[in-house]
Amino acid sequence: MRDDPTVVGLVELARHGDAQAWDDLVARYAPLVWAICRRYGVGGADAEDVAACVWLRLVERLDTIREPAALPGWLATTVRRECLALLRSRRRQVLVGDEFGLDTVDDPAFEDLLLTQERHIALRAAFDNLPEHCRRLLTLLFDDPPAPYAEISSSTGTPVGAIGPTRRRCLDKLRSDPALAAVAGAEQP
Amino acid sequence: MNDDEILAALAAARHSASDVPERIREIGRSAFAWRTVDAELAALTPDSAVGARAEPAAVRALTFAARDLTIEVEVTDDALHGQVVPPRRGEIELRDRSGVVAVAQVDDVGWFVLGPLPRGMFRLHLHAGDAVVVTEWITI
Repeated sequence: MRDDPTVVGLVELARHGDAQAWDDLVARYAPLVWAICRRYGVGGADAEDVAACVWLRLVERLDTIREPAALPGWLATTVRRECLALLRSRRRQVLVGDEFGLDTVDDPAFEDLLLTQERHIALRAAFDNLPEHCRRLLTLLFDDPPAPYAEISSSTGTPVGAIGPTRRRCLDKLRSDPALAAVAGAEQP
Repeated sequence: MNDDEILAALAAARHSASDVPERIREIGRSAFAWRTVDAELAALTPDSAVGARAEPAAVRALTFAARDLTIEVEVTDDALHGQVVPPRRGEIELRDRSGVVAVAQVDDVGWFVLGPLPRGMFRLHLHAGDAVVVTEWITI
C-alpha cells in the first residue's frame, strides 16, 4: 500500500472539494471499517455510530494528511479506538468480559486483520483496474465451484479453448498492478 | 501466489466488500458535507481527560487547541462549562450530526455555558471577532 498513487490522488482531489473522490475513498475503505467493527462484535446502530465518527474525523483531517499511504493504518486505529471506547462504556453499565483485550495495547490478531484488509483493498483496486472482459471472466470464475467453461463461454462469447489462456493473462495483469505488487511481495506464503 | 491462490484471494476480497451494510457507506458519503473549509480546526490535546473511566459525578476536562487560542471545557452532569483562552467575546455553538443544538454567548472573560449535555458525537463552533474555530468531533 505504501505508495499507492490512487489514494494520494483521491485525497488530493477530496481536499479540494471533489465529492466523487471522497465517495471513492469511502467505497475503498468501508470494508476495513466494517471488518474491524465485526472483530469487536460491534454491529447495527453501534457500528453506524462508530463509522460516522470515523468518517467525520477523516473529513476534518483531509487537509492535514501528509502521507495518504498511511491512511489504512490510521483508519484501523481510529475504528478500533472507537469500538473499544464503546465497549468500555458498556462495561461500565453491565459486566462485559475482556475477550477483546480492552485493557491490552498489543493485539496480534488485530495486526493480522489489518494486513488481510490491506491486501483485500489492494486486490479490489487492482481488479477495478482490469479491462472489462477480464473482470467479467474472473467474476464468473469466483463461484465455488467455478461455473463450467461451457457456461462461461456462452455468457462471455469467449471460445472454451481461450478461457484458460485468457484467465492466465488477466491474472498476470492483476498481479502486475503496482498496488498489489507492494502488498503481495511483502508476505509471500 | 499462483493463479488459483490469487483467484481465491480476489474472491475473498470481493466477498468482504459485499458484506458491508450499505448504511456504513451512506454515512461515509454524507460525512463529506461536514467539511469545514472556512474554520480553523482545534484539536483535542493529549492531556485532556476524555474517555478516562470516571465516576458519574466527576468533572472531566477537555482542552482544544487552535493556533492562537484554546477552548477549555469542563463536562459536568448537565452542561459544558467552558472558557476561551485568551479571553475574547464571541458566540459559541454546540453542533451534533443533525446541526446546531445550542448557542451561547462567550463573555468578556471568555466564559460560556452550553447545555444540556450532548449525547453522542458533538463539536463546538466558535465565532470570536474574525476568528472562526471548530473543535474536532468528540463523544463524552
